[in-house]
Amino acid sequence: MQQGKVPPCDSDKEHHSQGRRGMAETAATPSCSSRRGFLKEMGGLSIASLMGTAALLTNSDDAQAKTEWAEWFQGNYRLMTDEEKAQAKARLERRYSQEYGKPVMVDTTPAKEGVLFGYALNIQKCIGCRRCVKACVEENNQSRGNAQQIEWIRVVKMEKGKFTPEKMTQGYPDPIGIQVGGNAYSAAGVTLEGEHYYQPEKVPEQDAFYMPIACMQCEKPPCVKVCPVRTTYRDADGIVVIDYNWCIGCRQCIDACPYWARRFNWSTPNVPKAEMNPKTHYLGNRPRMKGVVEKCTFCIQRTRHGRYPACVEVCPVGARKFGNLLDPNSEVSRILERKSVFRLRADQNTYPKFFYFMD
Amino acid sequence: MEKLIRFALDYVSYVVKGGAKFYAWMAGLGILIAIWGYSFYIQATEGLAVTGLTDQVSDGLYLGNVMFLVGVAAAAVTVVFPAYAYQHKALHEVAVLGEMVAIAAVTLCNLFVLSHMGRPDRLWHMLPVIGIYNIPNSLITFDVLVLTGYLLLNLVCGFYFLYTKYTGDRINRVFYMPLIYISIVWALSIHSVTALFINTMPARPFWNSPVMPIHFISTAFAAGPGLIILIFLLVRKNTKLWIKDEAINLLSTIMTYCLGIALFLNLSEIATHLYFPTEHTLGLEYLMFGVNGLTALVPWFWASSAANIIAFVMLLIPRVRKNYRLLPVACVLAFAGIWVQKGIGLLVPGFTPSPIGEFTNYMPTLIEVLVTLGNWAIGAAMLTVLLKGAIGILLGEVKYATAPWEVRGNVVPFYRATPKPTTKLPWAPSGDPARYEASKPSSGSRTRRRRRDALA
Amino acid sequence: MNRYALNALAVTLVCLAASAVSAEDKPCFESRKGASEVTPHKLPNGVPSVKCSPTTGAVLWWGDPYDGTMPMGEMSPPGDYSKGQAVVKPREDKLGLLPVCGVACHNGSFPPPPKDKYPRPLAMHQDIVPDALKLQHGRGAIWCLDCHHPTQRNKLIDNFGDSIGFNEPQKLCGKCHGPILRDWRDGIHGKRTGEWASDGKKRWYVCTECHNPHDVQQGARNSGFAQIEPEPAPALPKGLKNADHERHKDHGTPHAGTPLLERLTSWLQHLRKRGATGTGRDASTLQ
Repeated sequence: MQQGKVPPCDSDKEHHSQGRRGMAETAATPSCSSRRGFLKEMGGLSIASLMGTAALLTNSDDAQAKTEWAEWFQGNYRLMTDEEKAQAKARLERRYSQEYGKPVMVDTTPAKEGVLFGYALNIQKCIGCRRCVKACVEENNQSRGNAQQIEWIRVVKMEKGKFTPEKMTQGYPDPIGIQVGGNAYSAAGVTLEGEHYYQPEKVPEQDAFYMPIACMQCEKPPCVKVCPVRTTYRDADGIVVIDYNWCIGCRQCIDACPYWARRFNWSTPNVPKAEMNPKTHYLGNRPRMKGVVEKCTFCIQRTRHGRYPACVEVCPVGARKFGNLLDPNSEVSRILERKSVFRLRADQNTYPKFFYFMD
Repeated sequence: MEKLIRFALDYVSYVVKGGAKFYAWMAGLGILIAIWGYSFYIQATEGLAVTGLTDQVSDGLYLGNVMFLVGVAAAAVTVVFPAYAYQHKALHEVAVLGEMVAIAAVTLCNLFVLSHMGRPDRLWHMLPVIGIYNIPNSLITFDVLVLTGYLLLNLVCGFYFLYTKYTGDRINRVFYMPLIYISIVWALSIHSVTALFINTMPARPFWNSPVMPIHFISTAFAAGPGLIILIFLLVRKNTKLWIKDEAINLLSTIMTYCLGIALFLNLSEIATHLYFPTEHTLGLEYLMFGVNGLTALVPWFWASSAANIIAFVMLLIPRVRKNYRLLPVACVLAFAGIWVQKGIGLLVPGFTPSPIGEFTNYMPTLIEVLVTLGNWAIGAAMLTVLLKGAIGILLGEVKYATAPWEVRGNVVPFYRATPKPTTKLPWAPSGDPARYEASKPSSGSRTRRRRRDALA
Repeated sequence: MNRYALNALAVTLVCLAASAVSAEDKPCFESRKGASEVTPHKLPNGVPSVKCSPTTGAVLWWGDPYDGTMPMGEMSPPGDYSKGQAVVKPREDKLGLLPVCGVACHNGSFPPPPKDKYPRPLAMHQDIVPDALKLQHGRGAIWCLDCHHPTQRNKLIDNFGDSIGFNEPQKLCGKCHGPILRDWRDGIHGKRTGEWASDGKKRWYVCTECHNPHDVQQGARNSGFAQIEPEPAPALPKGLKNADHERHKDHGTPHAGTPLLERLTSWLQHLRKRGATGTGRDASTLQ
């Protein structure tokens, strides 16, 4: 709780060894992570360093192939021993550092006891500026560009509704009495037929309000139930996570999600080297591969170290609130206590930990 | 063991040889398969981005074909069930052909599943023991279980039957009959599970209908027999195996009933949803009429509905049903109509609108179409080979101790069409009264005898 | 088109960032445009202090959420929130005239303090309050000296006449907006960056970082928060050329997808009307 600052990783000073995409950085990265849990990861690191040495001795293509091979054979993250996790972490750190030309850290911090993450969004405050969407992309290394754009948050514009006297006579059937009023079919409020691609010059618009939708981190997530390989699961702090290396890309979870929160990597994601966020979590924002599903993880790489999710920080109107549902003094707990809240599509019995509220 | 090796050798050497027509057909399929190889390579390297699929419509042509083909596989039961449960003589003679269709259809399903998956290289994650098998939660795991089981059942039953025919041994009923009955129930299970696999998701109201499993089975038992009738007619025309009219007539009757039930279920779903349409009806509206000017599926829906209705009306008329020039037309119409209805017509409206109300028009890309065509070509090639082998054995052209090239054309085929039935006993095994007489003195109740004889 | 522009800009920015850090120092805004500008720079650990949107110039990401802040100090009334864990960004740095306004123009005695607080035409400050007689705050119920100290013009004023610093406007705003102050103190209202834990270190955004006190009613939507330019819309899914289908929804008449029964009903009604009036034109209100 005390740290929560940017996790210190001093090998960052090697950050600017541009051009030398390779061995020196590759070797430097594990030493950065080792500070966090030196003893625990000793076993894994010794193997990792052995492999690192091997990578130094052989040419890099060979090392790359070996890494891919080892990644291909690694087990489901949840079933890995600590040692295997450390190996997987070291492997990924080495590969990512090489790919992105800077020291990349892959965090494996587990859930903290006594924490259940919850989110609240003030639907009355949201102005639909989509800064959360872009901040999320920035933080979580989503694919960007024309070939494949992935955004975990979708902001939907809803009409406030307009009832007009002109429409009064348009009901039907008319001669034998109106059964359907003329103002039927006027959208008003939250509806399924919102606007996803609104692009006015300024937001908020006069006649609209906005509803951002992302993963609800359900207490009873349907996506987890349908996953044939249990690669997506609900972690102890309530975050529904995905082991990207175990996902088989069947997309059943996309079908099962009532919130359309999941996205698929239809091709190899495009994350420019300079924009890539090197502070990653194994279950969170580490670069994904082609053919796997991803989604919001409440910025697990930040929140497990105490920091607010990126979308909470960026919201210019402070509509987004985040905290520990088990702590009565947390912002979300106070909102639940004081405000009127609703869960999106409560009829689905998914019990989201994402609440919409109004002042 | 030696017999088994001989069986394999004779079988293979028989199926790879054929006339000009056979080679032309296989070469045609080969071209499609070559194109498939290239398209599949592109998809495997570039990712599914080369398809028309999006996050909004994440399953399309591939999964639609899976849905449809599981039905075709299950429909083998329309041949096997009457043959063994009702001792339908004519169908019993050719029951093994139904099993061959099932084998090809399940394999084709697996091909489409592979094409659909984002990471086919990680398929082993689904295997029990070395991977994780999320049973009983995930319906996919059930689907894998029942499809694999069905494939094995049909392989074992089909090839065991062919093997005994090849060697001339009697069938071991204790081993064979339970498998046959299991495979009959199993056939229903594969299609029910496939329906449950998509209708158990409340997030997709268009699919979330309890009618789905029976709807699936009724459409399967309309499209499947349609395909089998077409195959039977082709076999009659192009090989020496004469499939009796009764077999085809029973299948077309089954088809009529099931197509009728399917249409009725369709109508009741439409009536239920459209009487007082809700937001959950938008998928159906998108399919039938289009929404806000997006009408990609509308022609498909009405064309497939028209095809199904025309096929049904044709089948309803006995004279048309028994006219083997018109029957194929009805079969093709029903097959195509159900293919559209159960593939694209079922999957895409489930995604449109998305759960949060987004509409899009899904359009398969060229690569997707080529992969689909190639998959079908592989299936067709496989089916051709399987049927050829089975027919060869049924005809007696492939027989133990006689190499096929020695006997071709000389042997009086056991199943060869005979101008008139040689026995009046309804439960008698087809064709050979001498054999029936020979088996008569054996012990056992009449029923048991009958059963055993039926199997012979 | 916007997407292309965005990408081109992003690429340009990336190139610039790679070549020279100094090229990045275009100011961006945090919350309220024009009042919460920051200049991106590199933090000691090499991370950029902020990352900004190439299209709107809004800050999207903070390398250090506490960059340039100071402890909030005691709140009024003191809560559990002022244990040094709460930091704010000093507002006074943003107010260009503040260092001189208490000395040069308003030194307490000259010009002489107004006799009363009633609105009157102002000779100065049109840049802040274009029409002083129509102050866009309080709907005529308040005016300058309800918030500004009459003699110390570099200070605000509380209900007892004591001065409040510009760095803690919440003490002033809470005079009227009590429930909002309460929500703000509990983290329900307003923006925070930093740690999510209730006793964690947070940067609290104060009132004027988001709201313009002289123009809270501004904008067409009258929401208290000035309208801003939105970030670009998501990429359209394959299969769509534009999003017209959702923009041109024809509410008020049954849309294209209105199911059979209702179409039938409306069509029958249309026929009836046509028969009744003898002309086909007037009654066809339902397409």
